[in-house]
Amino acid sequence: MSREKEDKTSELTTTQYLIETIKQLQVENENLKLEMKKLKGTPSGKIVLVFIIPGALALTFSIINNSTILAFIGLSLTFWGVLFFFVRPIRYVQSSLLDSTALATYTTIDRIVKDLKFKGKSYYIPPYPKEVYLPDYLKGLKDPVVFVSADTGGMPSLEELAKSKFLLENPNGICIAPPGLGLLLHLEKEMGKDAAKLQLTELCESLPLVVVESLQLAKEMEMKIENNQIYLRMLDPAYKNLYGTEERLKSVHFLGCPIASAVACALAKATGKMVLIQKDNVSPDGQTIEVWYRLIEGEA
Amino acid sequence: MNFPLSMSDISLWLAVMAIILLITSEMLSSATSYSGHVVIDKKRLRLVAIALGLGFIATVIIRIFQPF
Repeated sequence: MSREKEDKTSELTTTQYLIETIKQLQVENENLKLEMKKLKGTPSGKIVLVFIIPGALALTFSIINNSTILAFIGLSLTFWGVLFFFVRPIRYVQSSLLDSTALATYTTIDRIVKDLKFKGKSYYIPPYPKEVYLPDYLKGLKDPVVFVSADTGGMPSLEELAKSKFLLENPNGICIAPPGLGLLLHLEKEMGKDAAKLQLTELCESLPLVVVESLQLAKEMEMKIENNQIYLRMLDPAYKNLYGTEERLKSVHFLGCPIASAVACALAKATGKMVLIQKDNVSPDGQTIEVWYRLIEGEA
Repeated sequence: MNFPLSMSDISLWLAVMAIILLITSEMLSSATSYSGHVVIDKKRLRLVAIALGLGFIATVIIRIFQPF
């Protein structure tokens, strides 16, 4: 009986403790929400008004009173108001969200590859240039795709690629859209050039600049051409967590993270050759990611 | 009820603003660890700085051909 009582009292204390903890967490949550509201509640739109209204008033009074000082003040305030309005960023989100959004894609590819028992490698197949005219039944050749082979040998024929099929039978494998396809389009937009129109050396010079300076997807990025291989090193890339997730994604190693995948697509477009991610290496602290690409002679 | 600033005043104002903005945009685009985190459209800032610089040059050219 006494044991039962003890159990009940301990249960009660635990419940009380849990209730108190929940209350504390709720209070903390409310405080954090308020803090977030405060942070969100100071948009640059308000700053714009704070500058423009006094600026316009000062300019008006300067004309009425013929005052040079008021004119200077008004001009400057109006100018800074307009400037704040003009240089507002489009929208910024936390970089950690990038990993979370990409995770589902890689998990799905992992499941497909595991289910189909594929052991092969992935080949980035160069698309046909956009300007080239192709009949409707061959238009599938204009989409950049990755061919994940079931075993190590054989490449799909042009006819099979043109059909834009997912499951290929001869050779056995799957054709998927590269995870970095969207990013490649963005990179091309930033560069102001189609990757297909760039030389390999030009691409190796301009791509790291865009990734690091314009899009700030990595702190440092380096690309080197070594014979038939291309070496890529990224320091603190936005997608570094994909390489070290608890799920231990396999597809991220043979397809590359979206940045590595976009680079592979760009290499395939620039060279017109198939690109294979030969190997990758993640530093022990997870900050540096190295990828080795191999260019494969002969078209698909 | 005239605008109290003359062409030379505006020219001076444009020069000062252009210098301030050009220095700011250069400092931001060098992207050091701190300034790299400034949430601003750096390209547009540079564009405005260049536009103001060009505005100043325009006032100088006007001054050459039509002294005020």
